[in-house]
Amino acid sequence: MRRVALAGLWPLLATAGLLLVVVGAWLRERTAPWRRYQDDPQVRAVVPSLTGQRELCLTCHWSIEEISPSHPVEVVGCVACHGGVGIALDEDLAHTGLIRNPGDLSVAAQTCGGSACHSGAPADHRDHLPRVERSIQATYAGAIAYVLRAFGVQPDSVARFGIYAVQSYEGPPDNGGRPVVEALAAFQPAPDAPPLVQQFAGNCLTCHLSAEAIQAPYFYRATGCSACHVLYDNDGLYKGGDPTLPRDEPGHMRRHELTTAIPYTQCNHCHNRGNYELPTMTFVPRADIPAPDYLNAIERRVHEYYQPIGQFTLCEWELDCVDCHTRREVMGDGYLYSSQRDARYTECRTCHGTLDAPPLSYTITDPDDLALRLAFLNPNLELQVGDTILMTDLGEPLPHVVWRGDRLELTMKATGQRYDVPLVLGSGCQQRPDQQESHYCHVCHAYERE
Amino acid sequence: MGDSRASFFEHLHPATIPARSAAFTYTFGLGGISVLLVLVLLVTGVLLMFFYEPSLARAYSSVAAITYEAPYGWFVRNLHYWAGQWLVVTATLHMARVVFTGGYKRRRLNWLIGLGLLVLVILLDFTGLVLRWDADVSWALLVGTNLLREVPLLGETLYRLAVGGETVGAATPVRFYGWHIAGLTIALLFLGVWHIWRVRRDGGISHAARTPRLSRRALVRTEGLATLVVLTMLGVVSLLWDAPLAPPADLNTPAAHESAAPWFFLGVQEALRFASPLLAGVIAPLLVLGVLAALPYALDRSAEGEGHWFNAAGRRAQIVFAAALLLVIALTVRGALR
Repeated sequence: MRRVALAGLWPLLATAGLLLVVVGAWLRERTAPWRRYQDDPQVRAVVPSLTGQRELCLTCHWSIEEISPSHPVEVVGCVACHGGVGIALDEDLAHTGLIRNPGDLSVAAQTCGGSACHSGAPADHRDHLPRVERSIQATYAGAIAYVLRAFGVQPDSVARFGIYAVQSYEGPPDNGGRPVVEALAAFQPAPDAPPLVQQFAGNCLTCHLSAEAIQAPYFYRATGCSACHVLYDNDGLYKGGDPTLPRDEPGHMRRHELTTAIPYTQCNHCHNRGNYELPTMTFVPRADIPAPDYLNAIERRVHEYYQPIGQFTLCEWELDCVDCHTRREVMGDGYLYSSQRDARYTECRTCHGTLDAPPLSYTITDPDDLALRLAFLNPNLELQVGDTILMTDLGEPLPHVVWRGDRLELTMKATGQRYDVPLVLGSGCQQRPDQQESHYCHVCHAYERE
Repeated sequence: MGDSRASFFEHLHPATIPARSAAFTYTFGLGGISVLLVLVLLVTGVLLMFFYEPSLARAYSSVAAITYEAPYGWFVRNLHYWAGQWLVVTATLHMARVVFTGGYKRRRLNWLIGLGLLVLVILLDFTGLVLRWDADVSWALLVGTNLLREVPLLGETLYRLAVGGETVGAATPVRFYGWHIAGLTIALLFLGVWHIWRVRRDGGISHAARTPRLSRRALVRTEGLATLVVLTMLGVVSLLWDAPLAPPADLNTPAAHESAAPWFFLGVQEALRFASPLLAGVIAPLLVLGVLAALPYALDRSAEGEGHWFNAAGRRAQIVFAAALLLVIALTVRGALR
């Protein structure tokens, strides 16, 4: 009898099992992982016009900020830069082949690059990526050359090595006669090189565009193009709208945004963060940051920006780095330089002029003028055909320094704050006319941090 | 026996059947489970057809749409996938049961039909895998189809028949789709119905003579119960384990993704390491099939021992079959462990 009773239970059990499966399927459908990010869960698809391929990334990352007005999501989408499988809603599959930082120089040729994007013709000023790859910030050639000279490996400080092997642009550079080198070999110290050079190679190749940031406050940054164009706060915390990114995990960008309005804090994630100690060839982070609480905002800035004994002038701590240093200085001009000193060419007189003449300027007539394109990229700048703006000795436009009648007005790229630029012409400056390089100006105008 | 108002399902069966052939420990229901799995595959396959688009541009993305966007699409796809995998196993085990109980005796034609069904099931699994068009199918697409070229004389023709052109390309997805949903499926249904009809024509599931008989009502009830149990198991597995989906296939750089054969071809892939493609990829599999086909003709022509596990008269056939099965399993396991 027991057997019969049990046998009678089987259909019941099996039916219950099947019902459980149906309930299970319903539950799984209701609780798909992507649903947790939205209040009103729905699949959010974009078909960017650039690729024509459907992407579902915004289903989870639905409230992420648009990367920039120049890269609208309806045009570029997500996959063109970030890779991955855009039509999958499974985290692992969707992120297979994901490029977290499309600006990293190891992938930038596929992401930022391309002849239609940022690896275009130099004549159109669209060769950003090849220029950056040759810039001194990427090659680190200057530091390597100076160390090799200091330890007697090479007789001079002409660069011969970089982080990777690279050729200079062909042809003579139009750079005002600054010395360039034709090619760099990949730096790899010989086995018989002095121990300190070996240590330098092991410890110190951390300050270039391909090097991962030190994971600590003030140091957080990305690599490659994003090292400058994606802003990081000093605390390294994400403060944007992407529901999938943690808010309390340091090491993230401030927001998912590319910008040309780059404040000095961004440059500071690399520059002025510490010193290399020569006897041991190790990096020693500064011990005097953050600045003490009793300092006011501008004092904090001076304190956190400069190290003691650094010499600088008023505009260097009122303005941001990008207000003086031009794109060809910072991002390179395609030619290889042996040092920062050779790569840099902006002088005080670029904006302030000399005792004899006002700074160089020109009036915009071409609607496709580079200055207008640069101004368009920056939310703080407004420029139009007919405006007269400054330019460097090499003809590079400064779209943020504009003649307004007889006033020369500078608009800070990062903040939009405006200044009248004082001119040397007609001032009480007592400098000799043949001594107009910046270091002469510093003799009187220098300020030194205690 | 209350057979006067037999239901449709009962009418599909003989009025009474030998009790022995309905015993679970005799058949383990493997033939019936295989039929059930085919039915599941047909139903879920039709549902998948509503969304699947066999083209280079849309094959992968439509599978992704089924998996991630269609309501319960993931579940339908998982059921289809797991039923397809299980069918290879249940059909093989069914064949083993037939060999070890002498079920092929006096039923040589049906043995051959059954063998044909097994080949069709494997080809259906293979074509179904390719339809996924993700990076994991590159072995199937490139190595698998290239094996066809090794067939003497007919190789190039067979290859073009399979991929729809001189190389894998725009015509290939629709070619595999056509074979999968129509060509092979129609052949499977035809041979399947023939197979079942032959079983009934031959007096039901093979059995020892003179056993008590059982009402078909009991049989249908058992079948119904087995259906519920198998569907539940299939459902649970489909809930917990997803059918694989890798990033999309890139025919230009297939080597970028590690290429492995589907599990039912791992044995062949492993054999390819030891011998030439012609020998390992064409001759050896055909040889195994040939030996299996010859089993009731050359290895055991007797009628004795029918319906008896490990009957003495079929000893030679059982040993050869076991050896062949173990060889395939050993190669498969070895391939899987790499």
